[in-house]
Amino acid sequence: MSALLAVDGLNKRFGGLQAVKDVSFALEPGSITGVLGPNGAGKTTLFNLLTGFMAADTGKVEFDDEPLLGLAPYRIVNRGLARTFQLTRPFVGMSVLENVEVACFAPRVRHEGHARARAHAMLEHVGLAPKAASLVDVLPYGDLRRLEIARALATRPKLLLLDEPFAGLGSSEIQPLADLIRELHRKEGLTILIIEHKLRELMQLAHEVIAMDFGEVVATGVPAEIVRHPRVVEAYIGKAEIGESGGALGAA
Amino acid sequence: MAEILVYGAVISAIYAMLAVGFTLIFGVARILNLAHGSFYALGAYGVYALTADAHLPLFLAAAVAVLLVALFGVAVERVLVRPLRRSTLAVLMITLAVALMVEQVLLLIFGSEARNVPSMVNATFDVMGADVSGQRLLALSGAIAILSALWFFMQRTRLGSAILAISQDAEAAQYMGIPSDRIFSLVMGLSAGIAAAAGVLVAPFQTVIPGMGLLPLVKAFAIVVVGGLGSIVGSIVGALLLGYTETIIAFKISIEWSQIVSVAAVLLTLILRPAGFFGKRAAF
Amino acid sequence: MSEHRTDWLGALVVLVALALVPAILGSSYITGIMTVALCFAMWAASWDFMSGLTGRENFGHSLFIGAGAYTAGFLNVNFGASPWWSLAASPLVAVAFSLVIGFPTLRLRGPYFALAMLSGAAVMQSLTIIFSEYTGGQDGLNGLFPFFDSELTQYYLTLFFLAATVTTLRLVANSPWGTILRAIRGDEASCQAAGINVTFYKIASLMISAAFAGLGGALYAHYQLQVGPDLFAVILSINIIIMVYVGGMGSIYGPVGGAILLILLTEALRAFSEYRLWVYTLILMLILFFLPQGLVAPLWRRLRTIAQ
Repeated sequence: MSALLAVDGLNKRFGGLQAVKDVSFALEPGSITGVLGPNGAGKTTLFNLLTGFMAADTGKVEFDDEPLLGLAPYRIVNRGLARTFQLTRPFVGMSVLENVEVACFAPRVRHEGHARARAHAMLEHVGLAPKAASLVDVLPYGDLRRLEIARALATRPKLLLLDEPFAGLGSSEIQPLADLIRELHRKEGLTILIIEHKLRELMQLAHEVIAMDFGEVVATGVPAEIVRHPRVVEAYIGKAEIGESGGALGAA
Repeated sequence: MAEILVYGAVISAIYAMLAVGFTLIFGVARILNLAHGSFYALGAYGVYALTADAHLPLFLAAAVAVLLVALFGVAVERVLVRPLRRSTLAVLMITLAVALMVEQVLLLIFGSEARNVPSMVNATFDVMGADVSGQRLLALSGAIAILSALWFFMQRTRLGSAILAISQDAEAAQYMGIPSDRIFSLVMGLSAGIAAAAGVLVAPFQTVIPGMGLLPLVKAFAIVVVGGLGSIVGSIVGALLLGYTETIIAFKISIEWSQIVSVAAVLLTLILRPAGFFGKRAAF
Repeated sequence: MSEHRTDWLGALVVLVALALVPAILGSSYITGIMTVALCFAMWAASWDFMSGLTGRENFGHSLFIGAGAYTAGFLNVNFGASPWWSLAASPLVAVAFSLVIGFPTLRLRGPYFALAMLSGAAVMQSLTIIFSEYTGGQDGLNGLFPFFDSELTQYYLTLFFLAATVTTLRLVANSPWGTILRAIRGDEASCQAAGINVTFYKIASLMISAAFAGLGGALYAHYQLQVGPDLFAVILSINIIIMVYVGGMGSIYGPVGGAILLILLTEALRAFSEYRLWVYTLILMLILFFLPQGLVAPLWRRLRTIAQ
């Protein structure tokens, strides 16, 4: 089975800081892979490189056997690689439905039928249908997250990149969102790459985890192994997440 | 040749004053102040009115004019700009409105004929073989003095360092407990005062008409774009570049062509190097 | 009745009113003012289509107006072509200008785009004066021919094109294009993430805006029968923006109302022509502080709700 996404030797430097260093990994179709690491590990930069929002210094990325680097972000989306943002960025001044509608106009899915109807369907998928007419400006955080996912789904991606979907959510909102992601994976057959540093959620969802620190991949493996990996433990003990990760590590 | 050197220096110095004020308020408060040219015009008209109507001695009139315009700048910031801070375009429009208003008021009060402001220095000097009016030399030295004072203020005083800090990173400055709002007003006043001083210095040899602020505004903007938004050094270098290019073209080709230089420079810089040559923050 | 239906109905009523007023009043003076007002309305509506929807305010709209007007002037005066050629050529030339200036400037953030466009218009104004052998310099080109000898008929022609402009722009604004342009205003990065080619839409909307502005320029030129560098002036761009602010940004029809209102106001204040700019500026300030949504569009929306 050939990999859906193959990353080879990705590098990105900002002035004196090597944000992403020699990162290589592969994603099998239908897998859910987590990217774990403390703040500043280079996770979001990695996403930005993969989705065309930043230009890589060196490296190769192949998506569906086609090279990906150097393409504009919208082109990458139209190849089937969608993402959400860590700080949600809705189209302000427009309704929830319109926000998803925009994505339905992407060339990849434009001809798939009435945009409004498709947008509504996406909102149903993520449980936002009742709020379709509301303005995004007044939406609570958890709903904005779902909206981002709906928007990404509307482009019918093969690979979905989720950037810290659980960040800032209260405990009552986390589980439903995790369930949603799992369900989408099951129903749509999506391949998912998810950045998260909430260990508990990541372990529940991910089949495999890529651990990063200081821009490098320090370990890859199944969640149970990763939490015991000495470099991962070191990375977390050294940072402020000790309370959370300590608990999860202890539980493993 | 000597003429080009001296005239170029004079005009570069004046441009530097305008550009530095413009870039200061931009760097600190992210305000693209379209009323900047108005402060310049008000300085010139101020010294005219205070000498011709109020009969104040010239140097006193100059000082008072600069002070009044600085206060006006503070007022504009507090009353008109601050409520609209959330939208950069609204700020742009309101400063535009101020510029239009000022021009109209000046037109109303003083009419459209050029006003005559007496020179502070009447003698003509011979500099390297060129005849240069004393007033021009005064303008040059005045500009250098004011810019040096500004540099000293920014580098050596606490307030100045605070302003520098904010212009480089507004958020970080807030974390450090620097009261941004008050500093914005202060910097606006400073920026207005420097522009007014430029107006005062050139009034004797430039055409004093209500619309005199438009072209200097465009040039200040051009210089700041070329030199880098928010960079004081960039503004000075840009001013020298523009000032000398204009002077050379004016002497060698024609005055009309020299006026396009600034605007063309803006376009080219925005196309080729949007951050300007010294700027860190790109225009996009 | 749906909102859209009411909108079109309202537009029809206004159109009929605009058609009847000069005919009934029968004054050449009124017809003339209204013709000018309609040209401004086209300029305001075309500005609103791009800048109102995407939020990227263009301070150099006069670039396209002047381009259209001078094209009409060249064709008619220098080449003796019939005025009808201008209707085709002016929009095309304006679009060409928009391509040249749009590519480098559209990636700039709000205020910088605004000022870069302003610079572009200012450059054209200077160039027009410098190359006076071709353009007539400060005096411009004189002796253009009108479309018709009857002022009233020419007015109807202008009205026709205004109606066509507003109809086209509204149709596009209500289509997926409009949604995408408003999304660009919301967040460009998210638009990219939604698979939209943002650059294409920005440039295309600028081109459309330029085309209709150029068309208005041609109509204006063949009404005034002369073109001058003032048509590239910054103040013209600013006046149009003020008209849009009065009308209500993003509505397309609001700016039409704003333009007509302000031109009529200007004429009414003719006796106090020195105060004209005062009034404009005061209005701008009032709108910025108290009526950021404008006057005309919110008024219409209120009326529409009552009517439904």
